[in-house]
Amino acid sequence: MALSFPEEVLEHVFSFITSHTDRNTVSLVCKSWYEIERWCRRRVFIGNCYAVSPGIMIRRFPEVRCVELKGKPHFADFNLVPDGWGGYFYPWVCEMSRAYPWLEEIRLKRMVVSDEGLELVSKAFKNFKVLVLSSCEGFSTDGLAAIAANCRNLRELDLRESEVEDLSGHWLSHFPDSCTSLQSLNMSCLSSEVSFSALQRLIARSPNLKTLRLNRAVPLEKLSTLLHRAPQLVELGTGAYSAEARPDVCSNLAEAFSRCKELKGLSGFWDVVPFYLPAIYSVCSRLTSLNLSYATIQSPDVTKIVTQCPNLQSLSVLDYIEDTGLNALSLSCKDLRELRVFPSDPFVADANVSLTEQGLVAVSEGCYKLQSVLYFCRQMSNSALTTIAKNRPNLNCFRLCILEPRAPDYLTLEPLDNGFGAIVENCKQLQRLSLSGLLTDRVFEYIGKRAKKLEMLSIAFAGDSDLGLHHVLSGCDSLRKLEIRDCPFGDKALLANVSKLETMRSLWMSSCSVSLGACKRLSQKMPRLNVEVIDEQGDLDSRPDSSPVEKLYVYRTVAGPRLDMPSFIRNMAQNPTYMR
Amino acid sequence: FFLKKITFVKHNTLPNMDVTLGLLNGGDDEDGGGVPSDGSTTNRSILTGSKEDNNNNNMVVMSSEVTSSSYPVVGDESLDGLELGLGLGIGGGGGGLKSKMVASGGGGGWNQYARILTAKDFPTSLVSKQNSCSSSSSVNIPNNSSSSGTKRTATDSVSPPNGTSVVGWPPVSKAHRMPSLASQLKSPTENFVSKPEQNKSKNRTVGLKDYLDERNGISNKKYRSVKVNMDGTLIGRKVDLNAHTSYEMLAQTLHEMFFRSSAEAVKPSRLLDGTSEFVLTYEDKDGDCMLVGDVPWEMFLSSVKRLRIMKNSDSNELAPRFEENNQRHRD
Repeated sequence: MALSFPEEVLEHVFSFITSHTDRNTVSLVCKSWYEIERWCRRRVFIGNCYAVSPGIMIRRFPEVRCVELKGKPHFADFNLVPDGWGGYFYPWVCEMSRAYPWLEEIRLKRMVVSDEGLELVSKAFKNFKVLVLSSCEGFSTDGLAAIAANCRNLRELDLRESEVEDLSGHWLSHFPDSCTSLQSLNMSCLSSEVSFSALQRLIARSPNLKTLRLNRAVPLEKLSTLLHRAPQLVELGTGAYSAEARPDVCSNLAEAFSRCKELKGLSGFWDVVPFYLPAIYSVCSRLTSLNLSYATIQSPDVTKIVTQCPNLQSLSVLDYIEDTGLNALSLSCKDLRELRVFPSDPFVADANVSLTEQGLVAVSEGCYKLQSVLYFCRQMSNSALTTIAKNRPNLNCFRLCILEPRAPDYLTLEPLDNGFGAIVENCKQLQRLSLSGLLTDRVFEYIGKRAKKLEMLSIAFAGDSDLGLHHVLSGCDSLRKLEIRDCPFGDKALLANVSKLETMRSLWMSSCSVSLGACKRLSQKMPRLNVEVIDEQGDLDSRPDSSPVEKLYVYRTVAGPRLDMPSFIRNMAQNPTYMR
Repeated sequence: FFLKKITFVKHNTLPNMDVTLGLLNGGDDEDGGGVPSDGSTTNRSILTGSKEDNNNNNMVVMSSEVTSSSYPVVGDESLDGLELGLGLGIGGGGGGLKSKMVASGGGGGWNQYARILTAKDFPTSLVSKQNSCSSSSSVNIPNNSSSSGTKRTATDSVSPPNGTSVVGWPPVSKAHRMPSLASQLKSPTENFVSKPEQNKSKNRTVGLKDYLDERNGISNKKYRSVKVNMDGTLIGRKVDLNAHTSYEMLAQTLHEMFFRSSAEAVKPSRLLDGTSEFVLTYEDKDGDCMLVGDVPWEMFLSSVKRLRIMKNSDSNELAPRFEENNQRHRD
């Protein structure tokens, strides 16, 4: 009986439950479990920083140690979200600095972070340990200097893919000599050169350093020096991988690499000079993760590397690998779980490399554990997609980007409805799907009927009518995030599925056929949604209801309309004409 | 009346899906829907049934892509005086619209389908921006000359030349955009040269100002869409500078945006060479009006705030100022 169970026992049991969804479920069992759970929750994940307010989070979870926040919608990565949209970290850190003096970890994605915010982090949290800023922006190396200088127990500083105003490399020298706790440092997105001696000393006094991702400015000639100081590294991101071809430098580097017996992941490789590639051969057999997506090396060189990595689980490459390289991959890397192939020349219509749908088919045949695919290519066919689907029913993430919008099956000139239909039919655990190519409403019918586990769907230049959107909204039971651009989806489907939107995290629609009036009606029907219209033409208040909106972002929230919207965003609940 | 290019796309149909195509005369608003009478050219489907009727209503699908000629062409009458629209069929397909349908040709399940049209039915290609309503995302599809040699049919006549791009497409994040170009931009020496330019006006006092600046939309970022205004045109446009790699590319995009009507063939832009009646200028972060094309592309990217296409006659007052500014930058 729950009543006779001491709280301490329940707390102890709960401490083994770490997944956010499980903890949320636990808190719904009964009031006493809700109370116990909220007092012992240490990690909070907020997928949309506007879905809830800092105050609400703090009121419910008073003893949090780790906070994870996400800000802008995913399409911000592709410049579809205008500057000034929002996603500010400062209001959060202000309140957390008062409420959570023992906060240890902050993880942010697509948020706007300021130097002042970083300074506050460095001073307010005495036991601060982990800062991960993923695709963030708005801060400079001054903010990093504050973190380096003030966080005595800093374990992790990860700036992956953030846009940092790089004033100088001096920030790194702010780590005090007494700081020996560093386990992970990712500065790959920075451009300035840091003081090499400061870097070297920092690495030398960090015995627990496991992950080190250097930036491009760290020269290759100096890499072996660093490796000698940190042979315990598990993940390394090199700097620029080029230097004058000198055999002594190469053999030094090879020797330094061979000392790194724990090395499992490699990345970096800007400006690769193939002469130096053999230096990594000795570690290839241990590699589980390899990111060559900046390496502009040709197929034979890429192939030579990957075929020496039998334990590879995750690979990112440019399409220079070509079909031949992917074929070799499928034969050598039987443990591959994740493959990402990026386009080397995305804005050119003609193929500059011989990478087609065949490469992906080969990998789907040979790599039995393949679960996650991101593939950019210039041609695709229904038969290839069907083959891939039948080969790999265990796919959970399938993102295909055919570079030309609305490209049909290149063999039959038909839409790719059947191919993607086969994907959702066979891959029953599919959680994430990105569509491309010529697609009619038919593909959405298949998705609505079959993709029951689908959580995130990205659609571009597809569909014929509202029916397509209606299929998705009415059929995909697990849908959380839906992002759509340039599709003929309009008011009808949206208004016919209003309650669905409250079961999802967010919906993004840009360059579709949604009218201003429909947005107002949606907002009226669903008061717990923020229906935000983004329109940079500047005359939203005087537009007729029938006019189409540029961009629409709808998300559920318990925090009401947000207060930090720029002038080109309107919350439809606050529309002055609507109020009449 | 207006004509819309439609085709009917047939696939391996699911057994319980019936689709009907309605063909309506004039402006009749019959049971089954009609075309919006304001003559708008948006390719909208009209769902006249409400959600409750879903169990026995079939949505009519109208596709605006032309597919291969393997699809049977049922009828080939002239379309004068006909409006095309969508209607609801009921049950086995047809319902109240059946009487209006021109059922000819085909066999079996094709009987109820009225027309299947190809691009040949239409005088000019009308499919330009059927899917995008926003001015900021003009759909420019590069010519498909893929290695397999297949040809796209209908949209060929509207394909713009290579080099123009759609905002945010292909969906490659900043980190992965143009690695070959990025290598030119970010080599240490290059960075050293451009850094003073980029950072000269930034007095980094960490404070509340930063937060307020962020709230006011002032950003430190070096990429963005900028507004473009042309003299004599009321409505401005926006262009994504990050999707362009050179002045030529930018000029081409602007030429597409402002000067080209859908029918005319594309001519190379003359915006940059001074021979056109317009000149391309920009406002830099100091507020000065500069001629586009004089500084290296990367430097331009870091200082441009907005673009303006100015009439050539007005640019005379620009020239001396430009000289002045040039002097200033050299100091």
